[in-house]
Amino acid sequence: MESRILKPLLGFYVGLFVLFLYGPFVVLTIISFQQGPEGGPQFPIIEWSTYWYRHIFGLTPPSRIAPLPVGEALMRSLILAFMTMVVSTVLGVMSAQAFRRKFKGSTVVFYLIVLGMMVPGVLTGLGTSLLANNVIGIERHWYTTAFATHVAYTFPFAFLVMLAILNRFDASVEEAAWSLGVDPWTTFRKVTFPLIFPGVLSAMLFAFTLSLDEFPRTLFASGRDQTLPLAIYGTFSVEIHPNIFAFGVLTTLFSFALLSVYGILMAMSVRRAKKAAMQEDIA
Amino acid sequence: METAVFRLEGVTKRYGDLVALDNATLSAGENEYISFLGPSGSGKTTLLRVIAGFEQPEQGRVYFQGRDITNTPAHERGIGFVFQNFALFPHLTVIQNIGFGLTHGKHGLSAAEIDRRSREMIDLVGLSGMEDRGVDQISGGQRQRVALARTLTMQPKLVLLDEPLGALDANLRGRMRNELRAIRERLGVTFVHVTGSENEALAMGDRVVVLDRGRIIQSGTSDQIYDTPASPDVAHFLNRFNMFDGTLSGNQFSGVFGTAPVSRASRADRDVYAIRYDRMRVLPVSATPDGPAVKATFIAAEYLGSSIMNFFEASDGHVIEMEHHLSLGAPDSYEPRQDYLLTWNPEQAIVFGREAA
Repeated sequence: MESRILKPLLGFYVGLFVLFLYGPFVVLTIISFQQGPEGGPQFPIIEWSTYWYRHIFGLTPPSRIAPLPVGEALMRSLILAFMTMVVSTVLGVMSAQAFRRKFKGSTVVFYLIVLGMMVPGVLTGLGTSLLANNVIGIERHWYTTAFATHVAYTFPFAFLVMLAILNRFDASVEEAAWSLGVDPWTTFRKVTFPLIFPGVLSAMLFAFTLSLDEFPRTLFASGRDQTLPLAIYGTFSVEIHPNIFAFGVLTTLFSFALLSVYGILMAMSVRRAKKAAMQEDIA
Repeated sequence: METAVFRLEGVTKRYGDLVALDNATLSAGENEYISFLGPSGSGKTTLLRVIAGFEQPEQGRVYFQGRDITNTPAHERGIGFVFQNFALFPHLTVIQNIGFGLTHGKHGLSAAEIDRRSREMIDLVGLSGMEDRGVDQISGGQRQRVALARTLTMQPKLVLLDEPLGALDANLRGRMRNELRAIRERLGVTFVHVTGSENEALAMGDRVVVLDRGRIIQSGTSDQIYDTPASPDVAHFLNRFNMFDGTLSGNQFSGVFGTAPVSRASRADRDVYAIRYDRMRVLPVSATPDGPAVKATFIAAEYLGSSIMNFFEASDGHVIEMEHHLSLGAPDSYEPRQDYLLTWNPEQAIVFGREAA
C-alpha cells in the first residue's frame, strides 16, 4: 500500500532532480546545433547543422561573428589546472600524512587548511590582488597570484580526501616494511602510495576540475591574461551566439572523458584495495 | 650477559595516564624461544613493539646484540616482526612479498641473488608453486607462512611474533606451532612469541615470561611456571588451578575446605591456596576424607579429548574444576545436582601468603 503511493512519488522526485541536473545541458546541446551564422540561441531550430562547431575551430568562412577568443585562454586554464592539481595533491597527501600522528596545534592547523575552501572566493581573489599590488608590489598573473588562490582553494579538498583515505589505512603494512629494513621514504613509495593511490586519483580529479572552472578567485587575481571561465564570461557582455553552447558541449565531453579515465584507473586500483580489505577480514 | 641477544632495562611506556609497561627488565639469549604470556592489556604487545622500534619508551634502554638501540629507528634495527594480521603487502605477489626487504633495503644484492634467496625461503616454508600468486589467492595458513618467510629472508638474529597463530583456526594452529618450532631450530634464531593462550605459551616457549598490568611478574621455563607460579595472579592466569581464599597462619591454611597443613608457602600480597585441576579427587559425600575437603555439587562435565573436565559448585557459589586424564582410566560419572566431597593431597598445594617467608 505504502509503496503504491511512495514509489511513484519518489520516482517523480528523481525525475525532477534529473531534469534540473541535465535539462540545461540538453537545451544547450540542442541549440548548439542551430543553423549559422544567422541562427541565434533560441527555439525553434531553423535547420540542424554543425556550423557552430566548425566556427569554434575556424573552419567556417569569415562572418560578422568573431571566433570565440578561447584558444589561449583554454591553454592557460589547462596549464593552470594541471599545476594546481599537482601542487594541491602533493600538499594534500603530505599534510594528511602528517595528521596521522597527533601533534601540537593540529586542530588549529586543520581549520587553517580547511578555511581555504570556506572563505568567499571573491574576497580571496580581491585580497590576493590587493596584497600583490599594494603590499608586495608584484604584477598579477594567472600563473602566479591566481595560481596561489587556486592552490589555497583546492588544497583543502585534496587534504580532506586523503585524510579520509589514510584514516582507514592499516599502518601495520608500513611497520612490516620497516621491520624488513626498508627506510620510511622507500616504504612510502613502495607500500603506502600504491595502496592509497585510489584516493590520490580522487584528490587529483577534485583539484583539476575545481581549478578548471574557478571563477571568483581568478577574476581579481589573474591580471591581464584571462583564463577560460573569464574569457567565456567576457563574450556574454557583447552578444550571445550558439558557438558558446557548442563550446560548452565540447568541454562537457572533455569532462566525461576525464571521468572515464578516472573511472578506469579507479577500477584498476580498487581491485588492489579489495585485496587489502580481504586481508583485513581474516585478521 | 655477553651472549644476550637482547636486553631490556627498566623500560616504561605510558599512553596518557595508562601505564602500558612498568619498569620491564628482561634479557634473552641466542637461539632461544621465549613466550610472552599475559591477558589482553597486560602490555605484552607493547613490549614487543618497543623492542621492534615501533614505539618509543619513556624510560629505560633497549639493547640488541650489545648495542643500545633505544633511539635507533625500526628499519635500522634488523629485528624481524610477524604481525597478527600478517600485514602482507596486498599489491604484491607471494615472491615479491618475500623478497621485499632484500629488494628495497640497502643490501646491494643482485636481482638474481634476491631471487635465489627468496626461492630458498619459499622452499623452506613449503610454498613452492605459489610464487606468483597474489596474497589474496592463498589460504590463511599460507599467508602466515609468507609473513614468516618475508621476515626470515632478512636473516634477523631476533624475530618477534605478535600472536602469530591468533588468526588461524585451531587445527592449523597446532600444525603451525610445530612448524614454527622446527623452522626456528633449523635457523638458530631467537624467537619472541606473544600470546594470550597459556597452552600456546607453555607448549612453545623454552622460557615463558608472564606479564600482568605492564609488569613482568614471572619468567622461567614452562615447568617452572606450571609447577611453581610466582604469584596468585600467575596461577590464576595459567587457568589450571582451583584457587581458594583463606588465611595462612604458621603451618596451617584455613579456608572453606577446613584447615590444611602447609609445608611450604610463597610470599604474596594476599593469602591464596591453589591446587591443580588434575590433582583433585572426588569422593562420595558420605566418605571420610583423610585430607582437606570441600563439599560441592556436580554441575557438568566437558569432554576435552585426552581428559574430562568436571565442574562442581561449592556452597559459596565458587566453581571448582576437576580434570580427569583419560590415560589414567575410564572416568567416573557423577550425578548432576548431587553433592560430592572434593579432596586432594595437601602436599601438592601451592600456597601464597602475606606472612610467608
